[in-house]
Amino acid sequence: MDPQESLRIAARSIRSHKLRSTLTVIGVVIGIASVVTFATFGASVKADVVGNVAGSGANNVYVFGQPADEEGFEQALQPVFTEHDVEQIAAMEGVQTVIPRGTVQVNSVTHSGDTVALQQVTATVPATVTNDSVVEGRAFRSGANETVVNEAAAASFAQNVTVGDRITVARSNETWTLTVVGIVNGTAGELPIGGFGPDPRVYVPTDPYYDTVVESPNQGVRQRAYPQLTVVADPVETLTVTERVESYLGADADARQLAPDGIELVARTSGDFAEEISDVIEQITRFVTGIAVIALVVGAIGIANIMLVSVTERTREIGIMKAVGARNRDVMELFLLEATLLGTGGALLGLPLGLAVGWAATRYAEVGFALAPTWSVLAVLVGVLVGVVAGLYPAWRAARVDPIDALRYE
Amino acid sequence: MAQPQSDPVVALSNVRKTYDLGGVVEALADVSLTLDRGSYAAVMGPSGSGKSTLLNLVGGLDTPTEGAVTVGGRDLSTATESERATVRGSDVGFVFQTFNLMPRLTAVENVALPLVFDGWSRTDRRERARELLADVGLTDRTDHRPSELSGGQRQRVAIARALAPTPQIILADEPTGNIDTETGDRIMDLLDDLHEAGNTILLVTHERHIAEHADRIVHVRDGVVERIETVTA
Repeated sequence: MDPQESLRIAARSIRSHKLRSTLTVIGVVIGIASVVTFATFGASVKADVVGNVAGSGANNVYVFGQPADEEGFEQALQPVFTEHDVEQIAAMEGVQTVIPRGTVQVNSVTHSGDTVALQQVTATVPATVTNDSVVEGRAFRSGANETVVNEAAAASFAQNVTVGDRITVARSNETWTLTVVGIVNGTAGELPIGGFGPDPRVYVPTDPYYDTVVESPNQGVRQRAYPQLTVVADPVETLTVTERVESYLGADADARQLAPDGIELVARTSGDFAEEISDVIEQITRFVTGIAVIALVVGAIGIANIMLVSVTERTREIGIMKAVGARNRDVMELFLLEATLLGTGGALLGLPLGLAVGWAATRYAEVGFALAPTWSVLAVLVGVLVGVVAGLYPAWRAARVDPIDALRYE
Repeated sequence: MAQPQSDPVVALSNVRKTYDLGGVVEALADVSLTLDRGSYAAVMGPSGSGKSTLLNLVGGLDTPTEGAVTVGGRDLSTATESERATVRGSDVGFVFQTFNLMPRLTAVENVALPLVFDGWSRTDRRERARELLADVGLTDRTDHRPSELSGGQRQRVAIARALAPTPQIILADEPTGNIDTETGDRIMDLLDDLHEAGNTILLVTHERHIAEHADRIVHVRDGVVERIETVTA
């Protein structure tokens, strides 16, 4: 039959039950909008986090040990990279500097009479403080009684720490008095996966404060050893440097012999981290969006339900249509079209609503807005499909109505 | 009026129709009947005699259990559902006791409905429907819905709808059953006019004075044709 007329008839039956049709469409709108919202928000968070990670220290190569399987996380933090390794890597072509990083166990930190418990301070080298990250002051000097703290640490005392202040770090057997020479909002040596809201950190020079030593297998002498190194490469050579470092780690590095069984030594760029993080966020997004799909299923059930009611209500009309020449196929088409219109309406309203709510969520979470085009297009298609699928059974029921019974039906 | 060679529009031969309602119920036992082009026949009988079944079979709403029903040369006993729908839409025009108009459609849309399924264009449908409504005297009611029309007016719309696809036969099932006598008389006058104009009509009724509008009265009882009476004017 004339498709335009079919559309007109279907639209008319929808309009004749305004409230009922509206409620049904709202069901689909909620389903589509939740899918689009979560997908959009997920994509936005991903773009934002990945942008941050990939943007920070793109030429940094992070060297650390990681468990080959899920166990042995503690062992991964073993100090295996010796001063010898640091020197060897620093001497490589394309390497600007190597920033070793280790931790020193402490008990507390005191500033102006206010004592704050702190488990560890970070021992590293001045190069970890970059121009980008300095908020105030400068880097500490190696061998000096100086320290740099991050903003979170500076704010954790009753009186905010400022450059020139003195802080006292208490260990179990000694106490250090250090002059704060700089306040930073991050360091080059840090892995780019700090998460939201940085922890308070106190940075001290490895010389003289880092006291973890092991015997270097290559040198045969006891040296400082670190659980993690950050290799700052020439920006154009980041990849080749990564490969060089990896082959060194796999060949004659001290770390290779010091690393416990089951620990794999790896060299990662921030791009690698970005990829891993994006995988994780994507999985979470998929999971949450999957839950939102349940709302869509509920919407579909709403359509099916209302269409079944509609078939029952209009049994007589179906009979009339059949008596004046409608084929089963025509009747099926009309009801299917009606359900599809409901689904399409829901999809077309749900998409902008979902985008709007997703946008609002990114404002609230203070991340940049990014579209999830695949999910959005998919959501609309699914909305239409939901209408078709939900309409199939009711339409089939309508097509099978016996005109004789239907015309007697009151 | 009748031509020397008969020109059957509808032919039923040895039609039997049973329903399985728990037990087998025989609605029509063995009916043979021929309706010539331009003829006007009335089927009379008490309720349960099988007269409605007869009408449903001729109208392609139902299929016989045995025997053949031919409408316009097409055997409906072997036709598919889709073919029967085409017969309902273009070869026969139904007029029901309860009008059976689409409640949400206007008079003109109701009349045009069969043409939708017959593949007419929108403009042609409208034009044809308006003409037919004018023919049945409803020029000024074309855009009213059935609920805004009187019983007699509704039946006129239904008759116009039955005429829309230029059917071979008009099937009227108790067309005056739901309207008052005076209005009913006018509906019967309208059917008489349609007969005069050359239409073939099959009327089902249980009222003698209604049946007498036809040329022949087919008396049905217990699923068989008891006798065929010729009406003398």
